[in-house]
Amino acid sequence: MTFANGDSTVHFPAGSDRASPARFDVRAFARTAKGNHRETLRLDEFTTEPLSGDSIRAVRYLARLESGTMEQLRNLLVTATHKDARITAFLVTWAFEKFWVADALDAVLEANGQPKSHDSTEGLARRSRVESVERRGPVLRAITGLIQGVPIIGVHVTSGLVDEWITRAAYNRLETASANPALSSAIATVLAVKARHVAFFDHEARERLADDPRAVSLTRRSLERQVWPLGAIDRSDDDRSFFTSFVFGGDDGHERAAEIGRRVAELPGMDSRVGDAVTRKLCA
Amino acid sequence: MAFDVDKYTATSVSVNWADLDLERFREHPLPAGSLRTLRYMADVEYHTVCYTRDLLTTPSHKEADMSAFMTMWNREEFWHGEALATVLGIHGIIVDFDEIKADRLKLGWKDKLDPIKQSIAGKLVGTDFVAVHMAWGAANEWSAITAYNRMAELEEDPVLAELLKRIAKQEARHVAFYTSQARDRLSKSRKAQVLARFALKNFWAPVGSSIMDRTEVVHVMGHLMGGPEGRKGARKIDAAISGLPGMEGLTIVEDSLNKLGVPA
Repeated sequence: MTFANGDSTVHFPAGSDRASPARFDVRAFARTAKGNHRETLRLDEFTTEPLSGDSIRAVRYLARLESGTMEQLRNLLVTATHKDARITAFLVTWAFEKFWVADALDAVLEANGQPKSHDSTEGLARRSRVESVERRGPVLRAITGLIQGVPIIGVHVTSGLVDEWITRAAYNRLETASANPALSSAIATVLAVKARHVAFFDHEARERLADDPRAVSLTRRSLERQVWPLGAIDRSDDDRSFFTSFVFGGDDGHERAAEIGRRVAELPGMDSRVGDAVTRKLCA
Repeated sequence: MAFDVDKYTATSVSVNWADLDLERFREHPLPAGSLRTLRYMADVEYHTVCYTRDLLTTPSHKEADMSAFMTMWNREEFWHGEALATVLGIHGIIVDFDEIKADRLKLGWKDKLDPIKQSIAGKLVGTDFVAVHMAWGAANEWSAITAYNRMAELEEDPVLAELLKRIAKQEARHVAFYTSQARDRLSKSRKAQVLARFALKNFWAPVGSSIMDRTEVVHVMGHLMGGPEGRKGARKIDAAISGLPGMEGLTIVEDSLNKLGVPA
């Protein structure tokens, strides 16, 4: 417990998190979190200009991914990541904002005469031996987390960053494919919310990878075998295949995947081997 | 009555204190003992996300309603931490994330092994384990409301009282969620009742016991639940817990106060 001397220069609660100015301000982020978007969505327009079947499917898939925060939190919190109060403070607001992103996507589905993402039946998950390691439950994650210690935080924030790049590519692709002004507007809202998540993960990832060889080696291994986007492991096999071909299929899609791979390769301690592995996974 | 999660998420807000004149504490500071209690409360609120971990290692999080509740609940509790940290800040007591991190790092092996134990127990027991969490959560949230209201009463500071009442009001909605879940799940399963009773009777300790030093726990419990009036509040919590299916006659709060040597 810190009892500062009683002078009047109180550093807190001005709102900063008492860190270097370049550091992402978690308290300011929490203070300005974005909740319910329904008021600003142009839902009526879908009556005259409904989405195509593929666009609806992509929206539903993205809604399911965005709402999978508790699964992700679990995987993070059973490791040393839960010790970092700044990260957990970020994650609390991140989960809140993603809840409302998923709700916005659900609103789009409803405006197109569809049930909410969680109210429609989902097919069976993919069962692949290669992915079994990513399917590991909290016990194994906690045990490996014990061995990996604090450097695991580097893995988590870097995966968060790459995941943001991937979902952003998906939203952009969806926007182009649907050519629907109301959906474009909804996507702009969603991407504005997610921009701050990218900023946090970006800063954290570069900082943690820059000065920790152990974090680098754990992250390299993890990125190479990760199933993308995060949370896809729990989604249906059919929907995953659809998503892969919708976003990363064809020449344009391959280029999108390659671009993400290049950005991965440029991260501290990463190289084209890791970047190419991510690209391959995205197209597979 | 069933808890309406949609209504809860639609109306969940961060606790507001912008209209409260907290600056008055510069002229009328709170006593050191009270600040010590507030500091404990702030730490516990910030720690909520770590308690979430235990909920998440069991099958409970697979349900959309549960996820929605936990998302909002976590955020509300975080803001309770921020509100209390603001009051402490005006008194020159800095609560920053790096310091909380340092405290969490000191927690040691028990904290590291907890998720493993929780997961294994959850796996062995299955969905009945969720009922244990819900009963446990209800006991914790009842304790929080009682603590905040009691502190508001003891302090007699109008601004602090108002802030604490606002926090307690949000805690009341958390209680509503946990009790409705606990009641529902306990009434359906005799096994869940036996497990929850066993867990509460043998392992429950005042909120914060697992993360704070024993001396701090003793201070806070003595401050808020000591003496005849404090004990009255404790008995109320026990009575509420006793009202859950299969929990009749439990006196876990009073028992733990006795164990801590808190004067009646």
